[in-house]
Amino acid sequence: MKILIIEDELALMQAMEEFLVGERYVVEKATNFLTAMDKALMYDYDCILLDINLPGGSGFRVLEEMKKEGKSGNIIIISARNSLEDKILGLDSGADDYLTKPFHLSELHARIKAVWRRKQMDGKQNLQMGNVLVDFVERTVCVDGESLNLNRKEFDLFSFFATNINRLLSKEAVAEHVWGDHMDMADNFDFVYSQVKNLRKKLKDHHADTVVENVYGIGYKLTI
Amino acid sequence: MRLVNHLIVRITLIFSVIMLLWTVVYLLLQMREIHVGNDEGLINLKQEFIARSNRIDGFVETMEKQSPLNLAVREITQQEAEGILEHFVTTTIWFATEEEREEVRMLVSAFRCERNEKFYRLEFFTSTVETDDLTKNMLYLVCGLWLMLTLSILAVSRTVITRANKAFYELLGELDKFHLDNSKMIALPQTRIREYVQLNQSVKELLERVIRSFTDQKIFLENSSHEMQTPVAVAIAKLELLLEKQQDQPENAAEIASILAILNRLKRLNTRLLLLSKIKNNQFPDVREIDLGKLVDEILVDFRELAEYKKIAVTCEIDEASVCRMNEDLAYILLSNLIKNAITHNEEEGSVAIHVTRDHFSVANTGTEAATQVFDRYRNDSHNRESSGLGLSIAKSICDLYGFSIGYSFEGGMHRFVISF
Repeated sequence: MKILIIEDELALMQAMEEFLVGERYVVEKATNFLTAMDKALMYDYDCILLDINLPGGSGFRVLEEMKKEGKSGNIIIISARNSLEDKILGLDSGADDYLTKPFHLSELHARIKAVWRRKQMDGKQNLQMGNVLVDFVERTVCVDGESLNLNRKEFDLFSFFATNINRLLSKEAVAEHVWGDHMDMADNFDFVYSQVKNLRKKLKDHHADTVVENVYGIGYKLTI
Repeated sequence: MRLVNHLIVRITLIFSVIMLLWTVVYLLLQMREIHVGNDEGLINLKQEFIARSNRIDGFVETMEKQSPLNLAVREITQQEAEGILEHFVTTTIWFATEEEREEVRMLVSAFRCERNEKFYRLEFFTSTVETDDLTKNMLYLVCGLWLMLTLSILAVSRTVITRANKAFYELLGELDKFHLDNSKMIALPQTRIREYVQLNQSVKELLERVIRSFTDQKIFLENSSHEMQTPVAVAIAKLELLLEKQQDQPENAAEIASILAILNRLKRLNTRLLLLSKIKNNQFPDVREIDLGKLVDEILVDFRELAEYKKIAVTCEIDEASVCRMNEDLAYILLSNLIKNAITHNEEEGSVAIHVTRDHFSVANTGTEAATQVFDRYRNDSHNRESSGLGLSIAKSICDLYGFSIGYSFEGGMHRFVISF
């Protein structure tokens, strides 16, 4: 998968690049408005991560120009501005998702995967891991064809683990993915812990190939 | 007591007392004048009587016999006459015509008639009934005048003082309405009175300074919160990468994870501060009709697993379709903060009761003791390190923004928050 990162903060750019390269994405970079316009209009990408505040122009103009040219990359806006108007404006201008800085890299990854899945032509959004099948449309998880009875939060958890398989996820990133960023995390970590415990038990009972590892003091990791 | 009333009452009281004194003095003087007039009339009558007695033969005798209405003559001895000193008395006599005793002013005197060389005792009298009537009328008149003057002073001072202080009261009203949150300068009242012009000027300068520093502070808070987001984002991203690399070094990984946790707290705190300042700056202009019952249902779905996990029984009663006009996100933040608060700050196997009516939203949860200053920032009775302590303060700010009232009470072992729309 080919990804274009448009971001003027070099340190953040480097971190994202390193992470995404680690996930075997091909990464292109643009650090200012003009380069961003050039690359976005000239090439096709599977996903574009777009910062709004760019030296030389606004990220919204990149969106508009792409729309004019009939280009539809899977665009995720990454902005420090957590305002609803920006979110609405961005989504109206053709962006697919809006992520507010600061974010967890695992969350970014989950969003990229989700956006990409939504654009799949066959409409099926399945992910097979050993004998475990995740259906993102029906929101179900099957082990050897047998459905796991997961509640909503448990499915959210498992899909987040599944998109970030083999990756160590901090409990903050997990809690935030499950709760969104409006919530205080008070008391939620032990709740997340209990949900993970249930999930792990259900996977084990069905002899799934995937295992949720508990990395003590840090978080969780789904391995196969 | 209002300043105007205070002044009016004082002025009227003082003037009415002064006028009362003047009235009394005037009345006394007038009454004295009337008495003196009466007495002089009696003396004139006496002189006329004596003159006629001396000039006309038999005048005294006729008068003694006829005894006219206004005098009495009686012959006396010389010794008796010498014993009589001329004097006035006020007494009553029987008036046959009126068939009653009337009060009279009487001059008692004695004289020697030159015609017949005899001594007479003389009594001249005049009825004081008319002068009494006169005095009475005068009293009424003067009292009426006093009352009229008092009322006039009341009315005039009221008008004058109110007019003069109009600018002052307008300024007070404007100051009452002044709210730092919307940072709008008040309308200064027009006035020609120098002190009030000066007051206006001082108030204007003071408010401008306050507004400027408040705005500066607001902008500073917002900018610094914003500026902090990117470095925090970089730090979190870099640490997450480092965590990946250090996975096989559990001690290092745990250390990095704890730093990440701290950064996440900073991030959440920052996000909430930004949200608070945005609410206070009214940066949520998109207002629409919100169906609260529906919203509560949605929120409860979000919290279902959490409530189940904490074994908390949530009951929800939605009476009528309650609709209020506000921003959709703020409505969600407001209600979810309160509901989340009720679920998390609860007892083991406790309960939460939500009630939505047409103009109220209330959420109650079981608890042990009443909390204090619940809406203050960073007030955190549970000493929970992960809680930003800003949730209720945000709820309060949202209510303030839309003019809703939010109240907290603790009774019967239940914490209760009520919003009145």
